[in-house]
Amino acid sequence: MTDIALRVTAKTTAKRKTLPLPSRLSPNRFIPCLLPLTVLILWQTSASLGKLPSSILPAPSDVLAAAWRLLRSGELATNAGISFSRAASGLIVGGSIAFSFGLSNGLSRLSERTTDTTIQMVRNIPNLALIPLVILWFGIGEGAKLFLVSFGVFFPIYINTFHGIRTVDPQLVEMARSYGFSGFALFRRVILPGALPSILVGLRYALGIMWLTLIVAETIAAQSGLGYMAMSAREFMQTDVVVLAILIYALLGKMADSAVRVIERLTLSWHPAYRKGAGA
Amino acid sequence: MIQTSFQQESPLAAGASVTLRSITRRFGDKSVLEGIDLAVKPGEFVAIVGQSGSGKSTLLRIIAGLDGDFGGSLTISGAGGAKTAARIMYQEPRLLPWASIIDNVAFGLGPTPDRSNALSKARKALEAVHLADRGPEWPDVLSGGQKQRVALARALVSRPDLLVLDEPLGALDALTRISMQSLLEKVWQDEGFTALLVTHDVTEALTLADRVVLIENGQIALDIQVPFARPRRRGSVQFAALADELLSAVLKTKSQTEEYVI
Repeated sequence: MTDIALRVTAKTTAKRKTLPLPSRLSPNRFIPCLLPLTVLILWQTSASLGKLPSSILPAPSDVLAAAWRLLRSGELATNAGISFSRAASGLIVGGSIAFSFGLSNGLSRLSERTTDTTIQMVRNIPNLALIPLVILWFGIGEGAKLFLVSFGVFFPIYINTFHGIRTVDPQLVEMARSYGFSGFALFRRVILPGALPSILVGLRYALGIMWLTLIVAETIAAQSGLGYMAMSAREFMQTDVVVLAILIYALLGKMADSAVRVIERLTLSWHPAYRKGAGA
Repeated sequence: MIQTSFQQESPLAAGASVTLRSITRRFGDKSVLEGIDLAVKPGEFVAIVGQSGSGKSTLLRIIAGLDGDFGGSLTISGAGGAKTAARIMYQEPRLLPWASIIDNVAFGLGPTPDRSNALSKARKALEAVHLADRGPEWPDVLSGGQKQRVALARALVSRPDLLVLDEPLGALDALTRISMQSLLEKVWQDEGFTALLVTHDVTEALTLADRVVLIENGQIALDIQVPFARPRRRGSVQFAALADELLSAVLKTKSQTEEYVI
């Protein structure tokens, strides 16, 4: 997408001589990296020249050094591992409850009438507003994190599963029924594949909420994990560790997003929008 | 009120016979079908024509088993003791976009556990519609006419006794439509099923059908035998005369009940 867009711009600008010519750096994919690289270089130079005090923002090299130090001590791996397993268990618990509610409400009007209104009401509570209550209920143990993450990921997965099932083409369902498909066979061959694009959109939203919730919960009430690592580093003015933790969050978020993209590529290969070579 | 019996009609007939007795259908206050009586012989090709809103599609949906909320009686008697579920071709191809072309055809066999057998049957059906080499591709790469051919293969793969066609060629361009008509005629002659075709197109009805039924205001207004030998030539004088006559009967608003014998 980016490549094509840029090439088109290059052509049109070349025709219109009044506009400034774009940079002629040959591989266009280098261009997206330009801005982050410039920022990084500026950041490193100003820190090395002493213009940027390390108590405000440590130099990139210091962050790298901190990463190396924490990696060698095993602290980074332990905390990242703890955070990852909290995120994953919250996603599995909240996600599977949400998926089953989405399925049953999507497939049955009775189930929808029983639970949907309640779910829509609860949905409007920001899950982080529950933190005080959750601490009272679960203390600062694993239960609190599991609850908050599950609660956060529930709604995007529920809503998109429900919506996906409801918007499956009724003509296809009628066709399948006329060929003798019903019950689980109808669900597996027609309804689930039809709802899958929407379900995966829900999963992607859920992953964003998953990290956000976990980080806040770990920052406020935890004794391990990446959020805890960042908070205790703040107490010792270790800005390099704080920045490192933030960077790792970004990395984990990107990894989770890429994982869903891979799932999309694998399961939605029939979809013109997800076919190999399409999309960016 | 659907009675489906499996007794053998005659050893030669491969098609189902369809008998409608005073079929009525109401949508709220509006009466769409007001007592339709129709008997379709095994292997016969009947075209149902009529203006939009005349109730022809409603009748077709009742025969296809998509609409069970009607009055009167419908009897479909299958030939040879085989399964007699009517197969339907819709105006849209209605292919599953997430299944390959061959899997879409195999879908027509219903939820069957024997996948390899299903695939070999599907391959034969695809050959019959001249798409044998497209099996592994996704349906969205096909043109509109090719998609309808896949839908036809899916309808035929289970070797139905009765094929019900709800304006399946209506959305195709004129050239594709003509080649689809001859394909349809060929598979009908090869397989010997009973065919019921709903269409707007009088020429199409006369090209394909043994018999044309005109539905007007929920009743059968006209029921004519098409006397021409197959394959039919649209250009012939008699064909054009009959087409003209039929067209003016379709367009006429007042009901016309006398039977045409030509």
